Amino acid sequence: MGGKVSCTLGEVKNRADFILYWGGNPAECHPRHFTKYTIMQKGKFLPEGRKGRTMVLVDIRETMSVKAADIFLQVRPGKDFEVITALRALVKGNRVDTALVEETGLKLEQLQDLVDRMKRCKFGVIFFGMGLSMTRGKHMNSAAVLTLAAEMNAFTKFVAMPMRGHGNVAGADMVLRWTTGYPFGVNLCRGFPRFNPGEFSTVDLLVRGDIDAAFVLGADPGATMPQPGIDTLARVPTIVLDPKVTHTSRLARVHITTSVTGISSPGTAYRMDEVPLPLRPVLKSPYPSDEEVVRRIIAAVDKKTAWLPRPETMSSGVA
Amino acid sequence: MTVTITQHATCTFCGCVCDDIELHDDGVKIIKTKAACSLGTSWFLNHTAERLYPDALIDGKEASVDDAVEVAAEYLHRANMPLVYGLSNVTCEAQREAVSLAEKIGAVIDSHTSL
Ligand code: SF4
Repeated sequence: MGGKVSCTLGEVKNRADFILYWGGNPAECHPRHFTKYTIMQKGKFLPEGRKGRTMVLVDIRETMSVKAADIFLQVRPGKDFEVITALRALVKGNRVDTALVEETGLKLEQLQDLVDRMKRCKFGVIFFGMGLSMTRGKHMNSAAVLTLAAEMNAFTKFVAMPMRGHGNVAGADMVLRWTTGYPFGVNLCRGFPRFNPGEFSTVDLLVRGDIDAAFVLGADPGATMPQPGIDTLARVPTIVLDPKVTHTSRLARVHITTSVTGISSPGTAYRMDEVPLPLRPVLKSPYPSDEEVVRRIIAAVDKKTAWLPRPETMSSGVA
Repeated sequence: MTVTITQHATCTFCGCVCDDIELHDDGVKIIKTKAACSLGTSWFLNHTAERLYPDALIDGKEASVDDAVEVAAEYLHRANMPLVYGLSNVTCEAQREAVSLAEKIGAVIDSHTSL
């Protein structure tokens, strides 16, 4: 997501007077998001705290987070992209067909009111969750929301940020971006990075059975992938690094127990706003860290012949 | 039992990555947390420094880490299109090593982001 219009959670805390959560349930999935970073905090430019902010929640069903919202908009499942598109049109002052809006489960007046509030605010932020980015439209939805935030900057300051789940998944994006240039699904089979979601994404590779070995760390695809994908993991040699013996470990050829990230192994993790934070492990684990084990595997691979011809051994006939 | 208190510990259970947690531990277990939410608290209390699992398993049988590393390297080196997957619950330092391994063995590397 290069070029996205975003900010840190510190800026949200100190400046955001309009906060929109789309397709997420922070009350249950990110319990301290409201209290530590967004609506409940008093900020430098928001001395009134909660009273100085407007919170809107867009989701397909009523969750625990509704209680914290000033406005709740219930969208029909799979209609998020249509709603975002209508909002983008309204932001630009274009006419929108009432009937088309009604198909999304919302009314034109509700959307117009939302757009008016967005334009009136001093600093707006949209947090979007997996209810948006993992349902019909997927990354097109994320792109549309990011575009909406970018376009809002013609009127006021506006940003958008994905609500990242599992611990350091934001760090995985960052590390892959700074090492390969792409955030995920990077194919290094030809010795240089290629990126094509849908072709090189794990679920597709596993379901098609394209791979002939798997190295899994910090995940348990044996519990979460569709069955044909799990079958592939069981068929090919799979190697697992995990603090526990997981579902994937049970169908793997090799499992190595590692120490728990953040509790026993030190290092860095990225927060969802892409701020890196140091970990402060407190317990001494009897197991090695993931980092150490990967490094040892690299050392063992290094002793074997390289699969990619080194430049000096390549024929020089090719111009 | 001596209890150690650590300030400003970091929770990595969700994307909030709260770094203001106070942890009380007895060397083996974390016995108390302050500032963490219910998800974070159960995550901290559920992980201990005990040896609950074998060091390594090869084909389901207990093995040493040294042997497991050799076997893993052999499988990965032999593969034409290996996949390196996950990266979510590990540090950036481990992720960087994983990228290096992926490059060495000519793999596809991917995280939960692609789901
Ligand atoms: S304490 Fe709670 S909100 Fe903070 S990172 Fe941990 S799980 Fe997330």
